[in-house]
Amino acid sequence: MPFFGEITEREFWTLIHGMVLGALFLLAFGGGFAGVWSLKQRLLTTEGVEERTPRLLAGTVIMAVVAWLTVITGTFLVYPWYRATPPEGIDRALQSEALAEFPRFWLLANEATANWHEFGMEWKEHVAWIAPFLATAVAFAVAYYGLQLIRREEIRRAVMVFMTLAFLAAGAAGLYGALITKAAAVG
Amino acid sequence: MSNGVETKPNGPVAAAFLAAGIGSFVLGLMVILAEMAINLGGETTTRTILDFSKNYGLGSGVGPLSGKVAIATIAFVVSWVIAHLALRGKEVNFGRYLAAAVILVAIGFLLTFPPFFLLFEPSG
Repeated sequence: MPFFGEITEREFWTLIHGMVLGALFLLAFGGGFAGVWSLKQRLLTTEGVEERTPRLLAGTVIMAVVAWLTVITGTFLVYPWYRATPPEGIDRALQSEALAEFPRFWLLANEATANWHEFGMEWKEHVAWIAPFLATAVAFAVAYYGLQLIRREEIRRAVMVFMTLAFLAAGAAGLYGALITKAAAVG
Repeated sequence: MSNGVETKPNGPVAAAFLAAGIGSFVLGLMVILAEMAINLGGETTTRTILDFSKNYGLGSGVGPLSGKVAIATIAFVVSWVIAHLALRGKEVNFGRYLAAAVILVAIGFLLTFPPFFLLFEPSG
């Protein structure tokens, strides 16, 4: 049923989950990581640090908030549509048009596509949840130290490590989300 | 290392990083427990217990994933509060806490990786 113009409700939320929030996460990660990377005393004046710190805080807080919103919308809105069970009467062993409404079962109906679920979705649905834990710790560290972060080299490095790990978790989930949607869209 | 200039103690940040590691580890542990589907009597298994969508109405049709992520999130928040209370106002050996956190996150990554957690799938 059309929900927003020609887009169905399911397509709308899949877009919000994957494209809008996913793109925001990447932007926030890129800006935040560059900000932390270059936060070095020999590179910046006092005014430079004061000017840059609020932007760095905004970037890391946005990254954390977006990570939470992405996994919550993905798990509680989009995923139930993906894993819904087809009613009696639909052949679960045949990739028919009727079965296409049930992406998980459609993928599993053929050996050639089963791995998208058995590896791709099984990994994506779990690993994605690591990202908000790490991103929240990063945002807290930046908020806690503020301007002082430039004087805590060990914290700055730890922040970069955790940002990278959060990006890897979200990146793996995002990549498989896009590939699975291409193979069997929730629509 | 504070470069000789007074800064805030690092305990609260160490607590946050450690909690993130614990949340990741617990998530992985829940994935393994769900996969093992240990029988706890009758129809009850570790997998059915984790289906919070059916048991507690957390999401509709989410299945065992609802319990895995709920427990991991609770572990993250609770461990953060406890660690924060224990470490607030303290300057700790941050490298040690970071190492522990990174190891826990790495285990979390491993336990959520299908070729690994499928090893715990009951045979037959």
